[in-house]
Amino acid sequence: MSLVSPYWPEKYRGEREGCGPELGTQLLEISDDIDDPVIKLKFLRGAIDRQSQYERRIHRLPCPPIRRALYRLHGLRALAPALANADPESQEIVYHRMLAARSKVHRLAGSIVCGSLVIMPLLLLGWSWWPDSSSEPAAPATVLASVAAAPRPAAPALPPPTLMIAAATPPAVQEVAYAPRSPVAEPLVPESLGQTPTTVFLADRGSDWEMYSNGLRVETKFVVDGPRRRYRIADRQQGFKPTFYNQPVGILFHTSESDLWPLEANYGSRLRQSSTELLKYVQRSKAYNYLIDRFGRVYRIVADETRANHAGHSVWAQGDDVYLDLNAAFIGVSFESRWQASEGESQEGRALPITNAQLVAGRNLTNYLRQRYAIAPDGLTSISPRQFLIGYHRDWATGFPFAAFGLPDQYAQPPAAVTVLGFGHDDDFLRAVGKLNPGLITAERMLTEEARVRGISPDALRQERRAVYQKWRAQQRGKSSVASEAPIRQVAVK
Amino acid sequence: MDDRHDFGNQAAGDVSSGQDASATTRIGLDVGTSKIVTAQGDSRASQAAAQLNAFIGVAHSALAEATLQQNRVPYFRDGEELVVYGSAAERFAHMFNAECRRPMARGILNSQEPAATHVLESILAMLVPQAARKGETLAFSVPAAGPEMEAELTYHEETLKHYCAGRGYTPIAVNEGLAVVLAELANESFTGIGISCGGGMCNVALSYLSIPSLTFGITKGGDFIDASVGQVVHEPSTRIKAIKEDDLDLTRPSEDKIIKALQIYYDKLIQSLVDELYRTVTRTHKLPRTDKPLPIVLAGGTSKPHGFRDRFEQMLLRRQMPFEVGDIRIAEDPLTATARGALVAALAER
Repeated sequence: MSLVSPYWPEKYRGEREGCGPELGTQLLEISDDIDDPVIKLKFLRGAIDRQSQYERRIHRLPCPPIRRALYRLHGLRALAPALANADPESQEIVYHRMLAARSKVHRLAGSIVCGSLVIMPLLLLGWSWWPDSSSEPAAPATVLASVAAAPRPAAPALPPPTLMIAAATPPAVQEVAYAPRSPVAEPLVPESLGQTPTTVFLADRGSDWEMYSNGLRVETKFVVDGPRRRYRIADRQQGFKPTFYNQPVGILFHTSESDLWPLEANYGSRLRQSSTELLKYVQRSKAYNYLIDRFGRVYRIVADETRANHAGHSVWAQGDDVYLDLNAAFIGVSFESRWQASEGESQEGRALPITNAQLVAGRNLTNYLRQRYAIAPDGLTSISPRQFLIGYHRDWATGFPFAAFGLPDQYAQPPAAVTVLGFGHDDDFLRAVGKLNPGLITAERMLTEEARVRGISPDALRQERRAVYQKWRAQQRGKSSVASEAPIRQVAVK
Repeated sequence: MDDRHDFGNQAAGDVSSGQDASATTRIGLDVGTSKIVTAQGDSRASQAAAQLNAFIGVAHSALAEATLQQNRVPYFRDGEELVVYGSAAERFAHMFNAECRRPMARGILNSQEPAATHVLESILAMLVPQAARKGETLAFSVPAAGPEMEAELTYHEETLKHYCAGRGYTPIAVNEGLAVVLAELANESFTGIGISCGGGMCNVALSYLSIPSLTFGITKGGDFIDASVGQVVHEPSTRIKAIKEDDLDLTRPSEDKIIKALQIYYDKLIQSLVDELYRTVTRTHKLPRTDKPLPIVLAGGTSKPHGFRDRFEQMLLRRQMPFEVGDIRIAEDPLTATARGALVAALAER
């Protein structure tokens, strides 16, 4: 037996030549999405070990964008072997969150590039040969469009690349990543002072925090997973659509309804203790996706990909699409604050003022979430399904500082619970909020006007709409996988 | 040494038994001049165990041997001497105001020490259980090879490999500096500089996407500081080491003679490290072609004193490096970083 053992791998011992900067940049971008260090290491090693098979060929290509696309493609191919022996949880995280979808996008990009490389010379040849080619300038674009469209799924609306990120789902269940809605978020509101990044991106991260380019810092040490997001959308005319969705379409703001101590140095330990207990409670009950404490610290509690028990019975609508399971469809953001009901005629109900630090952090978080999930602003309100009343929970039923968040005033939007489902409000609600907001007044007018046009009484119209809601609710309870609801505090608006 | 009797396993609770046969054992092993550390577990959570890589001989007597057995102190009998090894050796050194002996020097097996191999294997036996399945991966750290120590390093490495293979593992060697990168720079896609400041050496690896582009070491470490300070203040280096590990603060000037000397020699060590880093990176053609700042992680027991990072940064910034220096930080747990990095390599090689 030889005493020297040459068969043992020496991959981690001596100096080696790495990869070039173009391939390196692509591998860096892909590996940024992998959390598990072992999978990341296997991926990088696999991709770099295989580079000799293709780097020389790609390196000769004269066009940098094509080189980059091809490097990206080869990099993504190294993912599969890296995940081969990984535990299912890691595979799911990597596949379902980002990478499979990216792979798809980049395969698509690759096919476009390759397709155009083949087709363009032919088209140019044909164009130069065709006697009247100048009269048909649209032809190349049409061909290219069909090449681009060919591999895409026959979805009713084509989401933009960011929306395709979570499209990798088990084939057994028909599920799409995003609801068919306005695909691009509103542009971020420009800050009045200082330079702001054009996009919000992950700038740095540690073991229990993430830092984003707009100054948002998210503490991640309390993160837990909830049940996966999975919901259906009801069409106003045709009832529930067959498709299941798994991506958030909006944000619900809440107040934590917890003890609030004065923001003074003497109360430092009590403030901290109160926040800590609240965090533990919220984590235990998986109550919100995010909690913003009074010092403006943003805690991710329930992972974005999963549902928190924050919305209770709430409805929201956009166009003909009605959303009934807002735990699954919305991200719940709670401020450590409390709702204070109206105390007499002169005073409206209000949430106790959030701190300036909470406001800044909340705005940064909102901008980040809106960009990440392409969320456009819209309004909603919580409901009591048994009594057909809106405002069952009243935190932020009035007084949310939309302007400070760079959002349109959602209190001016007619709530879908009234216009679509015929819900009303009672005197308690009115007493609590002080006065009806413009959106509610508009909604009532719309309902009355529709009843007049149809020649029925407003009450009859309400009954008709409520019957539809009851039917949908029964269908939803029977068919969708709604998790048990923890007691909710309230729903506000966005 | 024919009449050698080893009581290490009994003292350590026989780590090789009691393993769940169905469980897998992947181990990251940091074989340092001063300490041997293992890390076991998975990529999310690992457990570390450590033993001092040292031994001390005491005269044999029936009473002394009975006392060692009674107190479950790991030892073996070597002729007329009882050799106490592992962390227990330091206690005996303090007790007898004597120096511990080391089976390793300057990062590799000590060729001047006849008992080196047996002591090292005895300590390893306390930390490395028999592989649950044959061929499990064990990754162990090795220092960077300097031109003058290539032959000795080969012997050191092969000795470790054969020992580990005998325990049922497939061993792989991991450069010590790279192990620090693997443990601490996952978020940076294993791109940056890992520096392991150990007892016998400081090992450096510049890694780009986990590939070591550049590795080197200097044969100065904690032992150099202990010995130098011991010499000038006329104290045993074991005592100096204890003071150094207790509460040394490199940021506060001190009138204490030992502390002052420790600060001087720490500066000397850091300066040597920075000089060698500068010399190596300015002469090489192997630097990765990236325009991103390269983070630097400092690990190992010698990097633990408060202010080490700041001193390193001050001295580094006096030099014009051919790359942009990013974040300079101390490893999350400097003592276990190398073992944890080796574990990442072991897990990736399954």
